[in-house]
Amino acid sequence: MLNPLLSEIRFRLRALFRRDAMEHELDAELQFHLHQARDKLVREGLPPDEAMRQARIALGGVEVVKESTRESRGIGWLERVGQDLRYAVRSLRRNPLFTTGVVLTLGLGIGVNAAMFDIVDRLLFRTPAYLPHPDQVHRVYLRYQDRGEPRTESHLGYTRYLDLRNATTSFSELAAFTSRSLAVGTGGESREMPVSIVSATVFRLFDAPPVLGRVFTTQEDTVPAGTRVAVLGYAYWQTAFGGRTDVLGQPLHIGTWDFTIIGVAPRGFSGPGRDDHADANAGGPVAFIPITAYAAMTWTNRSPSDYYTRYNWNWMEMVVRRKPEVSLVAANADLSHAFQQSWNNEASLSPSLAPVDVARPEAIAGPVQHERGPLQSTVTKVAGWVSGVAVIVLLIACANVANLLLARSIRRRREIAVRLALGVSRRRLVMQLLTESLLLAACGGVTGLLLSYWGGAILRGLFLPSASVATSVTDGRVLAFALAVTALAGGLTGLAPVLQTRRPNLAGELKAGIRDGGQRRSRLRTGLLLLQATLSVVLLIGAGLFVLSLRKVQATRLGFDVDPVLYINLNMRGVRLGDTGDAQLRERLVDAARVVPGVERATLGLTVPFWDTWVDNLFVSGIDSVERLGSFTLQAGSPDYFATMGTRILQGRGFTAQDAVAAPRVAVVSQAMAQLLWPGRNAVGECMRVGADTMPCTTVVGISEDAKQESLTSSSGGHYYLPIVQYHPEGAALFVRMRQSATGAEEQLRRELQPLMPGDAYVTVTALKEIVGGQIQSWRLGATMFLAFGGLALVLAAIGLYSVIAYDVAQRTHELGVRIALGARVGDVMRLVVGDGLRIALLGVAIGGIIALWAGRWIAPLLYEQSPRDPLVFGAVTGVLLGVALLASAIPALRASRVNPNTALRSE
Amino acid sequence: MSDERLELPQGTLDLLILKALTLGPQHGWAISERLQQVSRSSLQIPQGSLYPALHRLERRGWISAHWDSSDNNRRAKFYELTRTGRTQLKVEAEEWRRLTMVVELVLGMT
Repeated sequence: MLNPLLSEIRFRLRALFRRDAMEHELDAELQFHLHQARDKLVREGLPPDEAMRQARIALGGVEVVKESTRESRGIGWLERVGQDLRYAVRSLRRNPLFTTGVVLTLGLGIGVNAAMFDIVDRLLFRTPAYLPHPDQVHRVYLRYQDRGEPRTESHLGYTRYLDLRNATTSFSELAAFTSRSLAVGTGGESREMPVSIVSATVFRLFDAPPVLGRVFTTQEDTVPAGTRVAVLGYAYWQTAFGGRTDVLGQPLHIGTWDFTIIGVAPRGFSGPGRDDHADANAGGPVAFIPITAYAAMTWTNRSPSDYYTRYNWNWMEMVVRRKPEVSLVAANADLSHAFQQSWNNEASLSPSLAPVDVARPEAIAGPVQHERGPLQSTVTKVAGWVSGVAVIVLLIACANVANLLLARSIRRRREIAVRLALGVSRRRLVMQLLTESLLLAACGGVTGLLLSYWGGAILRGLFLPSASVATSVTDGRVLAFALAVTALAGGLTGLAPVLQTRRPNLAGELKAGIRDGGQRRSRLRTGLLLLQATLSVVLLIGAGLFVLSLRKVQATRLGFDVDPVLYINLNMRGVRLGDTGDAQLRERLVDAARVVPGVERATLGLTVPFWDTWVDNLFVSGIDSVERLGSFTLQAGSPDYFATMGTRILQGRGFTAQDAVAAPRVAVVSQAMAQLLWPGRNAVGECMRVGADTMPCTTVVGISEDAKQESLTSSSGGHYYLPIVQYHPEGAALFVRMRQSATGAEEQLRRELQPLMPGDAYVTVTALKEIVGGQIQSWRLGATMFLAFGGLALVLAAIGLYSVIAYDVAQRTHELGVRIALGARVGDVMRLVVGDGLRIALLGVAIGGIIALWAGRWIAPLLYEQSPRDPLVFGAVTGVLLGVALLASAIPALRASRVNPNTALRSE
Repeated sequence: MSDERLELPQGTLDLLILKALTLGPQHGWAISERLQQVSRSSLQIPQGSLYPALHRLERRGWISAHWDSSDNNRRAKFYELTRTGRTQLKVEAEEWRRLTMVVELVLGMT
């Protein structure tokens, strides 16, 4: 019995899509009938004109027949949808202001969600390209107790990797990888570019066959020095070699060695590296080279076997593929067991290492996406919160739109009642209302995608500073998400008016005048308003907390100046000058930098704040173990160091030219260090020994302010400074202080200093602001996003409150007229209307405040020295919300007070 | 055109159309003429209701339509019984007979 169904479908499809053809056919058919009838009548003796008239009469009117024939074709559901759509478009076009308002509101809500989804998707959910079964692939994390504190690391050494490889059975593949910015090319054309350094097993982890040539094998990636071969990244192959196939066998200078190109990776392949890392900024890494070759190239100075026999360089990361039959728990146990064995191996080499039962080493196979693992960055945490905020903005937008639609449907109650009375089924009516809200949501969705297309680029710039700026509109996942959100928004906003139709009191509705239309605001609408107010309060409190937190971050004294300072790094690229030659080169560079226009001072420095730290053994007479008191980092610098960096000397003196190589050793210690090592005493003049307890005294000559070394939040034990000529002058970098802000001065300095560099060696210039800026990124992000979204929420809530109260006032014109006629004053009416709005706002402040207090403990870790329960913030938000509510209801209240009782009472 | 002509009970027009088509494909006009003839003009078939009925039957798949030239070389839409239409005709004719029998029976009650 499929046939009738098929024919029915065919017929209806034809009716739907070939409407004109069918009309035409029907016309021809009826014309034929008329001609036949006329001919017959003519044969019976009637004149042709009269015959035609008779024929028409017999048929019963062509148009009538056509209409009833059309009807007998049946109206399919598709046609009904079409009708509903046309109806919806008509009714929306009649109210352009309402429609624009709703579309923009929904567009904002959907847009911020699409944009945030794009970011969260990139940070958390997307797995590396070409990775089959990503759920079985894990990043390896190592956890152990360090001085009683648990420490989790993703970085480990090659020796550890070999240990774990040999001692586990749960994995079908184990791979090591890291990425570095290395000089690629020769001579003046060489530039620092991201290079992916991988074990050969990485290629077996992925299903990424090379587009050209081959990838390297495990035989080419073995200790001690691997083979100097390279697989090109697809994008680099296209840009630097024009996609030529004869690149195979050509040399490529990477770092200090020549590598032979043996293949080209497929498009978009960037290995297991982090997506937000340097890899992604220019379309992935330039090349993939064997990890053993890189290790050998880098550690030529030390004993070449060190990197695979010793444990002191944690420079790479590790991914594994779990065998499908092994559970995650079993894999973790296997991995942890192997790590403990490896720990024992390490302990046999360095006896000072804490034993296994103290350090309790364990290994964790975490998700392959770094940001989902235990070392998730603060930026990702903030992104998670901001996504939640985006959802709240959408909810507020939906509540707003639902309220507007509701107000509209209440106004249309008579129209709806008439239609119900005329026999429109309730289902049909509901479908019509839903069609309308879905249409609005669809328009909002398109607007939202456009907004997220433009706004998304800004957001991506904030959250993923180095990621490729791909357009989000072309992204299928974002599109699908936007579609889902749009459908959800349409359904949510359509629900309220639909619920309203469930109260059928036709007779009452038809009899009632407009004045009875909305005599009491429904509980639903009050609830929606309350929801908006509450959510706005929560968002605004969040915004306030983040803003205060950011201001504290920015006001924090780091212990050095950031804005005017530039950091100049030297890349020697294998050029050897010897210790003396290296030190002399650096002196020449400092002298050259000092005379560059705009430069105020220049100095040498051993380490870069927030990037690296230097520690050495420290001995102070009277203290058994200095390390037990804390870790003390050191910096070595020229006499100009303190003035260049802006670090203040609190007591004693800084360095001078008299602190020369052969002069008595001197040091400046930080305030915190002075108090830790010489509590209650003046540290100036004390003696400490650096390197070994047999070394001569290094005399403390000054005390400096504390300076942040590793991060904003961590405060290490202390910090001390040595004159660079007395401590490793050959390893120093340069710091330059500009008279004005350092921004934009990088290239000028690079140009001036580069000619002094011998051979392939080169300098890189980085503003200190960029190095430190990354640290405050998450706070700035939180403050910006919460403020933007909180403001958006407030505006939406204000519009919602205003429109509802204004609408109520319009509905209550009659009642207000009566009140005024009975002697109510302007103030009374104002109080009545404004009180309504304020009651909702107050309740919203109360509920929102409670939610914010309760949520405080989760947001606390994201704030910087800022209590999540700051009464200042709570008070300010209360004030702002009440103020906005007052304003939103005062405008309609004013209108209400001007009601002329005469017109109001006569209008019905 | 006498006044004694019978009004067609609802739903029977479909049955008559199907029956009229058992002799072969026909266009609308011919069907209407045929029904007049066979019923010896004692049935009042409003011509206007013929076409909606034809389209309804086509939609249900009981008859199919195609364009062809008529006797006098005019293009006309011809209708034809389908297999399901034939089955349907049997079922409906049987139902009609049973119905009329029952009605007879009741009217024949004394």
